[in-house]
Amino acid sequence: MKNKNVLFLNALLVLAVMFAFTATANAGGKVYKLGMSLAITGPTSDAGNPYAKGTEDYFKFVNETKMLGDDTIDCTIRDDQYKTDITKRNFEEYLDDGIVMYLNYSTGSTLGLKRDFEEEKIAVLPASYHAGNLDDSNYIFLPVASYSEQLVALSEYVVKNHKGEGKAKVAMFIHPSAFGRGPVDDAKKAVAAGLNMEIVEVVEHGKDLDNSAMLKRLMSKDVQYVLSHTVQSPVATMLKDSARLGLTAGSYGEAGKLTFLGVHYTGGNDLIALAGDACKGYVWTCSFNLTSEKNEGTTKQLALAKKYGRDDKAANSHNYAAGIMVAQVATEAIKRAKDAGLEINKENLYKTLNGMNGKNSYSPYTTIGPVTYSETDRAGVDALQIYSVQDGAFKKVGEPIQSEYMTKIK
Amino acid sequence: MSYFFQIVVSGVVVGSIYALAALGLVLVYKSSRVANFAHGQIIAAGAFITYFLTVTVGIPIFFSFLASMVITFFLAMSVERIFLRRLIGEPIISVIMVTIGLGSIIDGLIYLTPFGTENYSFPQFLPQAPLTLGGVSISWTQLSGVIITFLLIGGFSWFFKKSTVGISMRAVSDDQFGAMSVGISVPRVFGLAWATAGLSAAAAGCIIGNITGLNFDTLHSFGIIVFPVVILGGLDSILGAVVAGIIMGLIQQFASGYLDGNWGLNGTGDVMPYIILLIILLFKPHGLFGVHEIERV
Amino acid sequence: MSANKWLATGNFFTTYKQEQRTFLTNLDQSFFTLFLVLLFGWPLLFELSNKSMLVIDNILIAIVAVMGLNLVTGFAGLISIGHAAFVGIGAYTVASFCRTIGDSHIIITHFWPLLIIFSGFMGAIFGAIVGLPALRLKHLYLAIATLSFQMIFQWVINFMSFFNQGQTIFVGRVFWFTGKVGRKDHYVFWYFVILTVVVILGFGIRNLLKTRYGRSLIAVRDNDRAADAMGMNPGLTKVYAFALSGFFAGVAGALHAYLYRGVGFESFTLHESIGYLAMAIVGGLGTLNGCFWGPVAIKFLDLQVESLAELAGQYLPSSMNLATALKPFTFGLVIVLFLMFEPRGIANWWRIAKSYTKKWPFRY
Repeated sequence: MKNKNVLFLNALLVLAVMFAFTATANAGGKVYKLGMSLAITGPTSDAGNPYAKGTEDYFKFVNETKMLGDDTIDCTIRDDQYKTDITKRNFEEYLDDGIVMYLNYSTGSTLGLKRDFEEEKIAVLPASYHAGNLDDSNYIFLPVASYSEQLVALSEYVVKNHKGEGKAKVAMFIHPSAFGRGPVDDAKKAVAAGLNMEIVEVVEHGKDLDNSAMLKRLMSKDVQYVLSHTVQSPVATMLKDSARLGLTAGSYGEAGKLTFLGVHYTGGNDLIALAGDACKGYVWTCSFNLTSEKNEGTTKQLALAKKYGRDDKAANSHNYAAGIMVAQVATEAIKRAKDAGLEINKENLYKTLNGMNGKNSYSPYTTIGPVTYSETDRAGVDALQIYSVQDGAFKKVGEPIQSEYMTKIK
Repeated sequence: MSYFFQIVVSGVVVGSIYALAALGLVLVYKSSRVANFAHGQIIAAGAFITYFLTVTVGIPIFFSFLASMVITFFLAMSVERIFLRRLIGEPIISVIMVTIGLGSIIDGLIYLTPFGTENYSFPQFLPQAPLTLGGVSISWTQLSGVIITFLLIGGFSWFFKKSTVGISMRAVSDDQFGAMSVGISVPRVFGLAWATAGLSAAAAGCIIGNITGLNFDTLHSFGIIVFPVVILGGLDSILGAVVAGIIMGLIQQFASGYLDGNWGLNGTGDVMPYIILLIILLFKPHGLFGVHEIERV
Repeated sequence: MSANKWLATGNFFTTYKQEQRTFLTNLDQSFFTLFLVLLFGWPLLFELSNKSMLVIDNILIAIVAVMGLNLVTGFAGLISIGHAAFVGIGAYTVASFCRTIGDSHIIITHFWPLLIIFSGFMGAIFGAIVGLPALRLKHLYLAIATLSFQMIFQWVINFMSFFNQGQTIFVGRVFWFTGKVGRKDHYVFWYFVILTVVVILGFGIRNLLKTRYGRSLIAVRDNDRAADAMGMNPGLTKVYAFALSGFFAGVAGALHAYLYRGVGFESFTLHESIGYLAMAIVGGLGTLNGCFWGPVAIKFLDLQVESLAELAGQYLPSSMNLATALKPFTFGLVIVLFLMFEPRGIANWWRIAKSYTKKWPFRY
């Protein structure tokens, strides 16, 4: 009986000591709360899942390496299944918890909660680069150039590198939602503003098993370039059908064939996995460093993934990089506010983000250019890298570009 | 003209895949009068099992294809045994909701694995070069899909026409009490119907997965897409599923081939089946080949 | 009527009029009044966080929608797999007003009660139209007809630029006698509004079931040919069941639009339709109090699973998939278990509990 009591007391003592240690570990610094809501399941979860992993890992890394001294970041990450209702619920809860910055995901929910962000005066970093996020809004900071800017830049690339006579004839292959349609309007505006190309047709895809009809129709209208703005798997199906029909250009801009190009979410390693050889020569814009083009940043990215036991697929995904990037920007903002001796709250972080330009611009290791924000510019990385698929991997083509027409049509 | 024929060929290809996906629904409905809303999830499960066996375990794809058909055969059979056997004689809303609930459970189980969220694709095992004939082309993947579909459907038709088990299944679908009175085990037939449906779902999953790549969202949405097909063909007719599948495939391809891009329309291929479905339901609710049910007070 | 107005030990009705009373005894009435007073009073005493208030409001809206679904599926026996689309019709009625006259027009901010009722009627009109196939179709075929309505609704919203292609259409803040309802009071204010709606509609259903129109619903469910022989019009009854259900859904949709201050198409998808069906079944099909139990049970389950998953996620690093898998898994499991072991839903437990307390300490 006595032995048992002693054992029990010992166990209690051990527990008490453990608690004391965990308590002291936290007692040293302040805890900054952040919230993130994104689609880990449901539509677009193929992008949301690695994105969440990137953010989670980077914040862990920040806390473990004491990047903010004794202070730590506590970022709650929740699944919203791409539903605005659930995102709103998560956001309200985060507000109740007293977050200082909010990380969002989908286009739908970013647009849907825009007014709440305004009223709460909280800085938001979404994963949606929809240009419409910036309309009537002061608190949404796009991490990289908007889809519109990417599509327009891609159109400019087409015009500049057009092979053959006359205007470049292009078709747009887009997602059947506002996400897909938004940038097309801007591309049309760019054409109206003098961009020397003709948009022959805008195709909204469905759940197609076969795109032969569409591709043949485009051929009959003399289309030479197909610009896509959607997610990876419809593009993969289209590329496979095009390869099967022998319509894919062997080299960029080959006459009488189709050259395929695409914006941010249409590309990535999954596309190569899905389409195989059919995606050879596919041209893609992205503002992130890819692990297929090794540099200092990708080494760090891979090391981070390794440290937290992520598989190769997640580690090499550009969505993982995008997830890290928003976490980096958030951490950097907190760090700068702290160094300036400001209290870490919504207003000061908003101010800090707005001051991130000129010599104060911030270069995260995941992107190809620096992040610049100001009162008038809420798109972070303005530079875009053109990548093209060669030998089963995305390789850089030329130097980073920037859209010229985007400023003209605003 | 080759544009027209290309659309016809694509329509037949897509349609026969619909037919194969619809087959599972018809098999279950024919014998047990249950509309299976979890069919899409079984299709997805079949595809992922094949992928797992091929890529992770390393079995040649042909054998893992067969193995996954065997696994879904027993999976579907046990689903029937555990969940649906208890609901024989319950109102139709309960049965529909149980299959919906089952679908949700399988969703959860698939989300447990990495397959739930990411894109995968089968290794290439067929020649990449397409088969071209007079300006109309078809890939080996699609062709093999069509061939497998017709083999399976032919096999099932033979099975129902000639084999004792098949005939007893038909007997049950015709008259359960009559079948029982001549010594057929009705629950066993139900189990078998589910099992064969599972088998065909795995085949459909692999073929769809081979064409579009493996994405859970895409795969399991087929469970809903095939409803217009089975209604058009008649819920309890295998021949109906084939004919209606091909008709739907053609309609979809023609809609996206000739309607899209004109008059500001887009994505009509996705909604056309449902509009046609409503029209059929209003004018010929039992479909092209379905059996008319006569009710008496 | 028994002599004692407060307690009744049995059935003492002598006229049909007495049987139609809303409350059997004065005790019932006082209990119910007290309960209502509590429901309306507690937000004045305690202050809940915005998130909890939002969850409660959301449950109340689901109750309105499920009441409508229960009318058509539970009482009239017509399976509807497109209920979220009807809710969407209501929400998009408000949204179309916002699109045409601007989201802070006086009609939207001041005359919102009228707009909510108007949305209900729009829902009813669409309900009647979608109910037309019910004249010819039954059972599974009807279910699939409603499913195709759901799909067509989603396509229309998604492709029409008038509806902003499914992206959020904003709805302005409303005014009350005390002025503009600000962000702080928003959720509490709508709690009172939605609760009032729930109480009115709840009494509506209860009284409806005592009239010939309500009884004809049940008769048509049990056997439409027999109902026909009894002199009811099954065709008309089915269409009007759909219309009535559409009305409830439309009101729910309008409330949803105002509560979330925006309308986006993700809230009205097939998945939501299935959710409403699950709530109706878990609550108890064909019962009024089931309409309250179902949404409460399903929504709370959802929240509990979420926090459980979060807890598990802290102890199982990099196993995000476990956390997200739990939600659909438990949702499906609850539906299946209820259908297998308690097909009459939570309403049946309520019935058992009530009769037990009534007869206590006797067993029967």
